[in-house]
Amino acid sequence: MPSPGSPTKRPVTVVTGFLGSGKTTLLSRVLSDPSMSDTAVLVNEFGKVGLDHHLLRRADEKTVLLGHGCVCCTTRDDLVEAMLGLLDEEGRGEIPPLKGVVVETTGLADPAPILYTVFSHPVLQHHYRVDRVICTVDAVNGALHLDRNAESTKQIAAADVAVLTKTDVSDAGTVDALRARIRGINPSARVLEAPFGDVRPEELFGDGSTDPSGPRAPAVDLGDGGHVSETHSTSLTFDGPVDWTAFGTWFSMLLHARGEDVLRVKGLLDVGGPGPVLLNGVQHVIHPPDHLEEWPDGDHESRIVFITRGIRAEEIVDSLETFSGLIGARPQPLESDVRV
Amino acid sequence: MCVLCGQDFVAQAHWTDRYVEDRARAAGPGADPTEYQRDRRRDRAHRAAVTNQVLACYGMRVKDWAGSKYLLSDGKGNSEIVQDLGALWAAAEKILGRPLDPLDPALKERMLDGALAR
Repeated sequence: MPSPGSPTKRPVTVVTGFLGSGKTTLLSRVLSDPSMSDTAVLVNEFGKVGLDHHLLRRADEKTVLLGHGCVCCTTRDDLVEAMLGLLDEEGRGEIPPLKGVVVETTGLADPAPILYTVFSHPVLQHHYRVDRVICTVDAVNGALHLDRNAESTKQIAAADVAVLTKTDVSDAGTVDALRARIRGINPSARVLEAPFGDVRPEELFGDGSTDPSGPRAPAVDLGDGGHVSETHSTSLTFDGPVDWTAFGTWFSMLLHARGEDVLRVKGLLDVGGPGPVLLNGVQHVIHPPDHLEEWPDGDHESRIVFITRGIRAEEIVDSLETFSGLIGARPQPLESDVRV
Repeated sequence: MCVLCGQDFVAQAHWTDRYVEDRARAAGPGADPTEYQRDRRRDRAHRAAVTNQVLACYGMRVKDWAGSKYLLSDGKGNSEIVQDLGALWAAAEKILGRPLDPLDPALKERMLDGALAR
């Protein structure tokens, strides 16, 4: 077992997605790939006990069934126990060295508490790191879920990769519309298609998606018309290097006052060093900011996206403008709000 | 809590402190313990200075307390010892009786007035 200070923490992938959106189908396909054999899977059942569990045959031996329903509210301790249990087994040599852990959430779960568990537990934080959040979106019913359920929007906001499932039984127009809608909610997420749950593991878990992507699409504001119209995304840059300490002051203040409504923040900040700071957060839960050695590409400008609920893009920009004297740079929206 | 120095053991560094703290921790045993100390003190002093410009709008101030905590106080004699920025805003809200919201348009005016007064 690597020592506590080991730089090689086991990557944790959180798979979320609304009820029936194909999380288990996706996982059972991906986990049947030989490259995933040393990946443990933690599933969580809600309702029919063990049903999904039996579908995940490849991962059977390493599957730890979490009891008590929902991961986020009641079984966080179970998650801790399950993950500590895996470390124990690995240390005793009962299972081969773990390549990673996949946590499947229930369809109604908010992924933030899972991230929080991994970041804050005194033991887990040294052995695991959250690699990415994958969200499955049903291409047939996805739009309906987004209209009706706030959880669905939150899950997409928290995602690093959005996987469109059931594209085989959906027409191209619906898929394109949903793709645009996902981009509207979370411009920083990579969108993949997985007809019949087929997606290459390297595409899903590969390094390609760990790249510290900033916003990839122009700022899109969902406007005030639809059911989930309270969600806004704000993509912006700064006109120069920002003072990281001052930005931390502003952002920690914002999170304290309005953390529940800041669904997601992701981006690269130019702090005047050789590389940028990679900032990634879901609600109150902020990944330890990563001060990169160098920029991932030729574009050396800050780019950051805020996904908020009930906070308009102008409010964020205005507030940053107010703090610009302290932060040392002025915010510049990447594009004015586009309503879809 | 350590009985000798009265400090809490902090299991989790706040994300705003991570840059300096992580570098110091990564240095590990045998490394010069003072190597990152100057960076750390400078960072803390700068954080207190920046945060004070915001807190001034609410009649409060913060200062670095022995390089390990921050001491938040207002003009009426209320004070609170906090570990990091995460705890600071909560303590400030407790003293003030309402949350300090950076999106509050009134804060903009007060900060501009503060900047002009300096």
